[in-house]
Amino acid sequence: MTQVEDDQAPNGLVKRPTGIPSIDIATCGGLPAHRATLVLGQPGCGKTILGLQVLACALDRGEGGVFVSFEESRKQILRDVAAFSWADRFGETSRCEIIDAQSMKGAELSGPFDIDGLLAVLAMCADRVDGSLIVLDGIDQLLRRQPDPLIAVEQVRQINDWCDQRSCTLLLTGKQAQGGSQFASPDHLPGIEFLLSTIFTLSTELVDRSLHRRFRIAKYRGSKHNGDELAMVIDQDGICLPYINSPSDKVGGSATSERISTGIERLDDVLGGGIYRGSTTLISGQPGTSKTTLAAAFGVAACQRGERVLYVSFDEHGSNIVRNLTSVGLDLQPHIDGGLLALHARKSWDVVAEEHFMALQQMIESFKPDCLVIDPASSLLKSSTSHSPYVALERLLENTTRQGITALLTSIASDDDPSDEATMAQVSTLADTWMVVRFRVHGGERNRSLSVVKSRGTAHSNQVRELVISSEGLALADVYEFGTEVLMGTARVEKESEEKIALKLRERERERRRQTLDQEIEKTRNQITQQQNDLARLVDELKYESVYDDILEQEVSHYQDRIRWRREPNGQATAHDREKDHQGGDT
Amino acid sequence: MSEELVADNSLSSKLILFVTDGAPRSGRARDNLSAALIQKGLDGWPREIDLLKEPGQALAFGMFATPALLRIGADGPKAVLYGDFSDTGSLMRFLEAL
Repeated sequence: MTQVEDDQAPNGLVKRPTGIPSIDIATCGGLPAHRATLVLGQPGCGKTILGLQVLACALDRGEGGVFVSFEESRKQILRDVAAFSWADRFGETSRCEIIDAQSMKGAELSGPFDIDGLLAVLAMCADRVDGSLIVLDGIDQLLRRQPDPLIAVEQVRQINDWCDQRSCTLLLTGKQAQGGSQFASPDHLPGIEFLLSTIFTLSTELVDRSLHRRFRIAKYRGSKHNGDELAMVIDQDGICLPYINSPSDKVGGSATSERISTGIERLDDVLGGGIYRGSTTLISGQPGTSKTTLAAAFGVAACQRGERVLYVSFDEHGSNIVRNLTSVGLDLQPHIDGGLLALHARKSWDVVAEEHFMALQQMIESFKPDCLVIDPASSLLKSSTSHSPYVALERLLENTTRQGITALLTSIASDDDPSDEATMAQVSTLADTWMVVRFRVHGGERNRSLSVVKSRGTAHSNQVRELVISSEGLALADVYEFGTEVLMGTARVEKESEEKIALKLRERERERRRQTLDQEIEKTRNQITQQQNDLARLVDELKYESVYDDILEQEVSHYQDRIRWRREPNGQATAHDREKDHQGGDT
Repeated sequence: MSEELVADNSLSSKLILFVTDGAPRSGRARDNLSAALIQKGLDGWPREIDLLKEPGQALAFGMFATPALLRIGADGPKAVLYGDFSDTGSLMRFLEAL
């Protein structure tokens, strides 16, 4: 099923895609098939390019088409398209005819004329190229010559009817009158807005001396469409409406709870483990507060994880960035050489914000980064824009969030005013994490401080910390409060030194006390052992004493027996007593 | 148109009249041109090309609006007058150069 069939509206309106994605989205399908669409605009606003690009897209799809120019020769037309990426579509092909119809220019006139001959030529050429797309570029050069404008309008109707009969889709381009009505229809085509069902207007405006282009669907009868005045960009790929998202783009990516490192360990700790993958982080601060170094640390950490990083600088040349960061221990070159880091330097004033947006989008699409760094994003905001300066950034971050790309933006704060944090408030609403780096002057020193102003979904520390930069890289140091002041730099180092000495003294004292106690314990243990030995000896002595007492008692008893025997009245002891006396004497 | 007019080689080699047959303006152009030629005392009739029958000639001469009168010099097309020649003044001036 073709897209034309897909886009058939309930009322029978059939659409034919232009092949320019953003215009097809804005028109909800493209041009009305088998009808004429009028494109109005001042000279130089891109009418011819639009016609040629629509034709190139048709050729790309294998369709045929006819381009009739009432303003330029075939050679000039081919020269016009040479700068575009789709120029080769107009090379040797039998599916396309470019017709030079500028003979009307400078010709004399004697009364009204017909365009039947033109339609006969179109029919012949459409058959020859086997196509149904026709572009009449600069039709005003022909029709404005009609002495009666009503005849010209009638001939536009004739062209429209012819499209229907021939099943051709036609794009008419013509110059727009200055100012005038809402449609500002050309003077030579009064009331044309009532005749044709579809009218596009292209316009240009100088804002801050930069050219801004706009596209508007002034009318699209019977079809849903975007009626806003839309920013338009013409680059090497032709016309694009940068802020138009495809319906599939609106589907948001799922939020992840994965945290990735900022490249500074202690900062990760402050943020509860790092920043969320796919989130947006803003680092704002005055010039020289190391925003670029912080951004690069994040990029290098990502590369070390094997992720792809797109680093866009609006500040310095790529080679300068690499050189300067080497001095603080951040070597980008190996990652650039390894293809993980793409470093692009852009000048904010070169092109308007919409073109920066387009270029960044294209870089993202082609490089497919995991992480994006824009340093500083505030320069992008300073580039000329016809819309709010934040639109480009908003759309860009919308896209990175949807694609799960972790973005880190830096922003230059303008002065020392502490309330400066509010100046980036609008951008900060886009950011999930907002860190502020600033200088603190104390004791003749200028030190850098870092604080996390907000971090969505994170119980982050509210403490201001000192950002310390050395040849080994970045680190965060705790600051010391001294009364109402916060100590940084040398004062912090002194304080740290004092703390270290005090700590060492305390440790030494504890060690001494431990040793003393150990000695006391040992001594006491020895005393206990000695006394236990004494106790055992005394117990033994006591035991010995008791045995001796028993023997002594027996001896006494025996002695008493012998005495008693000797004192017997018969003076003689029995044999038994003698024996007993004898045994007792031996013992 | 008469055979005599077509046979007038001198005028047909200097002028080409582009028409779309059946269109009222082409008819009026013929009438106005005929009257002007008579007024000028010029004999003959330009070569006529009907773009409906020969659209390829429109591409060859770069003529897309009809009626149109193309004046040809010795080295190719010189000038074009578009319209039904109802403005006789401009038609007479155009024919002056013949």
